[in-house]
Amino acid sequence: MTTIEELVEANAISRIQVEIHPRDQALRLLYGTPGFIAWLGELAKGSQPERRLGEATPAEQVDDLFNTFLAGQPLVHMKQFRSIRAEKNAVWELKTPDIRIFGWFLRKDCFVCVFGNWTDVIKDHDLYRGYRIAIRRLRRELGVDETLCVQGVTPGDVLSL
Amino acid sequence: MTSFHFDIGSRARHAGRFIGRVRGELLRALTLRKSEGELPQQVLAEKLGIQRSLINQQLAGEANLTLRSLADLAWAMDMEISFELKKPMAKAGQNQPILNQAMTTSTVQYGQIKYINGAGKQVSVFAAPANPETVQAKKSA
Repeated sequence: MTTIEELVEANAISRIQVEIHPRDQALRLLYGTPGFIAWLGELAKGSQPERRLGEATPAEQVDDLFNTFLAGQPLVHMKQFRSIRAEKNAVWELKTPDIRIFGWFLRKDCFVCVFGNWTDVIKDHDLYRGYRIAIRRLRRELGVDETLCVQGVTPGDVLSL
Repeated sequence: MTSFHFDIGSRARHAGRFIGRVRGELLRALTLRKSEGELPQQVLAEKLGIQRSLINQQLAGEANLTLRSLADLAWAMDMEISFELKKPMAKAGQNQPILNQAMTTSTVQYGQIKYINGAGKQVSVFAAPANPETVQAKKSA
C-alpha cells in the first residue's frame, strides 16, 4: 500500500502552496505532479490562452482558486469543481474561467493536480476522456490503490463544504 | 521534501482574489436562491431584460461585470451588496505570511516562482520577465 509520504519522498508529488491571508489557516492540502508544477511555472511567467475569457489573468485565476481551496472556503459544485464521470476512484476537475485542472482526491480535502490546460483548448479538442484515462494510468503506475483515492462522487465526499 | 510556492506578487494576488471573491459570492447567492426553489437563471434574465447566456457568462466569469451589472444582478436576486474598504489590521494570534516579503507590485509577468525546501533551505527561481529590456532599463535607471 502506497502512502502520501512515500509519493512525496519519491518526488511523484509535491506540496503546492500560495500566500494565504494571515487571518486564514490552510485547512486543505494541494499536491502537484512534476509535470503539473512545470506547467504552473509557465503560467506564472504569464502564458495566456488565445482568447482570454476571465477578467483576471489566468495566473490570478489559479492563485484565487488555490487560495479558496487551501483556506477551506466553499467551492461551488459544477461551477468550480466536478467529477469528470460519476464512478469509483473518479477523476475530478477544478475550474476557473480560462483554466481547467484535472486530478484526483487522495482523501477528503486533499487534491493532486496532474494536468492543467486552457478551457477553450479542452473544449475544442474534447480532452476530458484523454485526461481521465491518463490519470487512471498514472495512478496505476504510482501504485495508488483505493486507500489513496476518494471513492464517493458527491461534493461532500471530497470537500468539507 | 520539496514544496512549490505559487507566488504571483501581491498586486496581482489582490486583484485576482477580489475578482474571484465577487464572482464566488454571486455564484453562492444564486445557488442559495435556486436551492430555495426560486430564481432560476431564466427568471433572472427575464427580470433584467437580458439574454440568459449573458448571465451565464457573467456568473462563469467569462464576461466582465461592471458595477452596474453587479448591482442589477443583486437587485434581481433581491440581495444587498455590502462593500467596504478598510486598512488591514494585524490581530493577535493570526499567521504571518509564508515568506516575509515586502509589498511587491509585480504583475503576473514578473511573478516569482519559489521552490521551498522542507528542510529549511530555500531556493528561489525567478520567472523570466515578459520584457527583459524593460527590466534592464529599470535596473540601469
